[in-house]
Parts: sequence; structure tokens; C-alpha cells
Amino acid sequence: MLSETASLVFWVIAFVTIISAIFVVSLRNIFHSALFLVLCLFSVAGVFVLLDAEFLAGVQVLIYVGGVAILMIFAVMLTSRMTNSEVRQQNEQKALGALVAFSFLLIVTGAILKTMSVKGGFGLSPSPSVTISTPHAIGRLLLTNFVLPFELVSVLLLVALIGAVVLAKKDGD
Amino acid sequence: MEFPQIDYVAILPEIIICGLALLIMLFAAFLPRDRRWITGHIAWFGIIVASFAVWMNWGTDTRTFAGMYSIDLFSSVLKLIFLLGSLLVVFMSENYIRLHKLEAGEYYALIIFSLFGMMMMASAADLVVFFVGLEIMSVALYVLAGFRRSDPKSNESSLKYFLLGAFATGFIVLGIAFVFGAVGTTSIAQMFDPQQYTLANSFFYLMVGGGLLLIGLAFKLASFPFHMWVPDVYEGAPTAVTAFMSSGPKAAAIAVLARVFVVAFGQHITQLSPMFWSLSVLTMFTGNLIAISQTNIKRMLAYSSIAHAGYMLIAFATGTAEAVNSVVFYLLTYTVMNLGAFMVLLVVEGKEDGDNEITSFTGLGRRHPFLGAAMTLFLISLAGIPPTAGFAGKFFLFKAAVAKGQIPLVVIAVINSLISVYYYLRVVVVMFMIDTQTEFRPVSYPAFLYVALVVAVLGTIVLGVFPTSFFPFDIPLLASGR
Repeated sequence: MLSETASLVFWVIAFVTIISAIFVVSLRNIFHSALFLVLCLFSVAGVFVLLDAEFLAGVQVLIYVGGVAILMIFAVMLTSRMTNSEVRQQNEQKALGALVAFSFLLIVTGAILKTMSVKGGFGLSPSPSVTISTPHAIGRLLLTNFVLPFELVSVLLLVALIGAVVLAKKDGD
Repeated sequence: MEFPQIDYVAILPEIIICGLALLIMLFAAFLPRDRRWITGHIAWFGIIVASFAVWMNWGTDTRTFAGMYSIDLFSSVLKLIFLLGSLLVVFMSENYIRLHKLEAGEYYALIIFSLFGMMMMASAADLVVFFVGLEIMSVALYVLAGFRRSDPKSNESSLKYFLLGAFATGFIVLGIAFVFGAVGTTSIAQMFDPQQYTLANSFFYLMVGGGLLLIGLAFKLASFPFHMWVPDVYEGAPTAVTAFMSSGPKAAAIAVLARVFVVAFGQHITQLSPMFWSLSVLTMFTGNLIAISQTNIKRMLAYSSIAHAGYMLIAFATGTAEAVNSVVFYLLTYTVMNLGAFMVLLVVEGKEDGDNEITSFTGLGRRHPFLGAAMTLFLISLAGIPPTAGFAGKFFLFKAAVAKGQIPLVVIAVINSLISVYYYLRVVVVMFMIDTQTEFRPVSYPAFLYVALVVAVLGTIVLGVFPTSFFPFDIPLLASGR
């Protein structure tokens, strides 16, 4: 169980996450929405820290906050039409969206409640010992048991790099 | 720290292929623009060397890289099929690149990288390796589809393929996560081990994960209802790339389907069979019925490839080792005859952009008897008429299905083959029965394309007449020992 302080921190983080998530979908200025998305993703990283998943938290910050969100802000700034007031920023299917979101909430809540009531967690395999999620253990695994996928990922990155250059370069260069 | 044992000889074909792609990139960077065609010759030579490396490992039956990489007869046979397909595609592309002034170096490098991904998928004994292999294959194909950058259709094709492919990737990752949650491992060999199934309740999550995996793989296989992208992507992509796309990724997806659904989930085959049964029937009917109304030959071949994915799924509704062996043979025959049909299309298409109407074949049989005869052979083989490879492929597949009591499914498949005869033979009618008043567009005779064409013709005939003497029909599906 979480300690008193950790519990307090959790509620603060949860509050920030939800409020910023609401701002992401409700603000009129799309640039502000993107900034709140950064805040939202950042606080999710905080939740990961509380769950002893420091590595996941680091990855969350690096990829989502550092990569995806910044990319989005770039896209918003580069496409001037997006910030134009004539473009509707509101979702036209609000009611339908709310319905889908609410039913998803019900499903997830149901799954969590059921997992807590069934002994052994709904038949899922017991989670591996907590030490395995530390960066140290992950790094060790990447260079021993997972060395083949690790090397393959570097080939994948190379292919993506070549592909991007092929598609983006000017003719005749 | 305990380092896993690594068998560099076992993984030699992949090392050669990966090195080949890098070598081609290097050559392309240092060669002057007008000499970059040399990279094509490096490509086909390298592929032949890699085939020898696969041959060298023939009969090796082991797992290496901490059990993540399986070298066995099943993966070796599939790798030879991939290598053969890529070799033919490299031969086909030589003239196409010259005509359309494409960047030879990057083109061949991406083809070879994609081949590398497929070979990794064939040898994957772990879902993580399979996933990364799949991504290497797909990313290279997304770029290849948009290789004619000045052509809007090619751009559209690339973007559609990329967006939908990325979506399918999401399903596959989620599926792997669920499977891992259910059985606590991503290793296919360990899932296969019945002692791992100690958790009684995990079946539900295993099936959720399996279902998500199937969605992703069905997308790559172009099976109903995930086939919507196929006609547009095939039509817009450069013709030589379309040929590559229609044979390689399908075979790689089949390899993974066999490893996951027949080996790893083998105990649940009775529950899985109805799902594959309906997928197979729907895919066959969709492909064949829509193909009838097509006037563009690339789109027709696209729908025909959907129909063939349906025939291939019969093996998984059956779920026996015999059925999987026959579907691997089917893949071999499909690679040869399908690439053959695309080769004739490439010759007829020539330099004309985007004109792939069936009517452009009018009178081909009278003006160019060899091309007409070759195309007829490939088309009747695709339709499954003896004594061609297509017939032998279907024969063994249906035989395996009947042996397991899947008689209604086989009857439906035969009805579908009969439907397909209509649209395949329509092209033959256009080629031979109608003569054009106008002059037939000049047909050039590029040497490499013709070598490939002769190989495909011989392959289609030989595999049809002597199927058992060239193909081992008793392949075990996973390396047995460590």
C-alpha cells in the first residue's frame, strides 16, 4: 500500500492529470490544448514513478513529452491555418464521444474491480518481482536474453532513417 | 552476467542479407549517378550467396540467442521462398528502374532490408523478435510503395499503406502484451510446452491476445475484413514493388500464423478453427467476386491476391502440420506464378504510366506469342487448372483439409476457384481472341526480365508436374531441441 505522503502525492497528480486532460479537449486555442497535453502526459509519468516503474516514467517523459508533444506543437505552429479562428476547434460529435468515453470508463472500472476481488488477479500470471523494472535490470536483459531484438531494433531505426531520407529529399540531389 | 550462446553460423543468412543492404547503400553513395545500376547486380549476387548460406544450415535443428531465434527446416524452406521471390523481383526491377529513373541504390537496399525482416519473421521463436522483424519488413515497404515520388497515386498508396499498417501494428503489440499477461512469456517454444499452462483462468486473456494478433496479421495477409487497403495500395505502388508486396509479406505473415496459432496455441485449435473457417470463406468470396468487375489488371491481381489469402487460411482452419506444410508449398507456387504474371505486366506496361487496363493486353497473344503464352500459363495456374503449379498447390492444401474432415470448406474453395477461372480467362480471351486494328505498343526485351520470366515459366510447369520431387512435405514446425 502507499504511504500517507505517497497517497497525497497521488491525489495531487491525479487531479492535475484529469484537469489538464479536460483542458486538452475543451480549450478553443489548439496551441493551448497542446501545452496542456504536455502537462497531462508529464503527470502520467508521475503516476509511473509512484508505481515503482521509474524506467517507464523516464521513457514517458522522453518519448511523449520530449518527442510526441513537441512534434505536435511544431505541427500546430507550422500550419498557420490551424490557429485561425475560422477553423472550428470543437468536436462536432461531443455527445457520441462522451458516450464512448463513459462506456470505456465503465469497462475499465469493471475490470479493475473484478481483478481486485478475484484472488490471484483475474487469472493473470503473477507479476514478476519489482526489481525487474529498474533500468539496471532492463539494461542487463537487453544485452543478454534480449540481445537479438535489441540489435534488430537498430536495423529498424536504420531502415526508417533511409526511408525518411528517400521520401523527403529533393529530386536530383 | 550470463551471456546467451550465439550461433553465428545459424544466423549467417540474415547477416549476409543485412550486410548486403548496407553494402548497396555504400556503393550507391560512392558511385556516380549513371553507374548506380551496378547495385542491382550486387543485390542478386548477394541473394544467391545468402541462399547458399541457408542451404548450408539445411537440417540444422536448434535454437540460439537465448531461444529467440529458431533455425529449423520450416524457417529454412520459407527463407528460400523469400529469397527466390526477392531474386525474381530484383531481376524484374532492373528495367523498371531505368525506365522510370528511380534511385537504384535506395530501391535495392530497401528491398533487401524488407527481405531481412521477412527472414527474421520466419526464424522468430519469440513474439518480440517476430514483431521487430515485421516492422523492418513493413517500414521498408511503406517507403517502396511511395518510391515514385512525383506520382500522386504512388504517394496515396504509400500514405494509405503506412497509416493502416501502423494501426495494425498497434493491434499486434497489444496482442503480444495480452498473451504475455496470460502465459507469462513471449517465447513461442515455452507457450508450446504444456507445463507452462498452469494458470487455469488465463485462457480468456490468451484468446484476447490471440485475437488482436490475428487482426494485425490478417491485415498483412490482406484477409477480409482487413483487405480494404489492398487494391488502392497495389494500384498506386510501382509495379515491381506491387509484385514484391503481393508475395513476400503474405508468406511472412503465414509463417508467423503457423508458429503462433498452430504451434504455440496448438492446444486450442478446436476453439480457433471456426474463426479461421469463417475468415477463409469470407476472404475467398470477397476477393473472387470483386475481382470479376475489375477493368484494371493491377486491381484485378490485387483482388486475386485477397482470394489466395483466403485459400491459404484453409490451412489454419484445418490446423494440422500436414496442412501447414501444404500451405508453405502453396506459398512457393503462388510466389512463382504471381510474380510471373507481374513480369508480363511489366513488359506490356513499358514506359506508359498508369495505363494498366486489361484492354491494353488486346492482341498480345498474336503479336508476341511467347509473352501471351507465358501470361496464359500464369493465369491458368492462378486459377488452379492442371498441370500447373497452382493446381498442385491447391491439391495438397485441399487434401490436407479433407483429411481433417473440412469437406464443406473445400467445396466452398473449389466453387471459388471456378469463379476465379472467369476473370483470369477473360484476360486470355482479350490476348488471343481479339485483334487490335491499331499498332501494338512496341515491346522491348530487357534481358534480366526475360531471365526471370523463363525461371517463372519453368517453375510454374515443374512445380505443377513434379511437386513432390522438389518440396519436402514433412517439415516439423519448430526446432525440437535447444
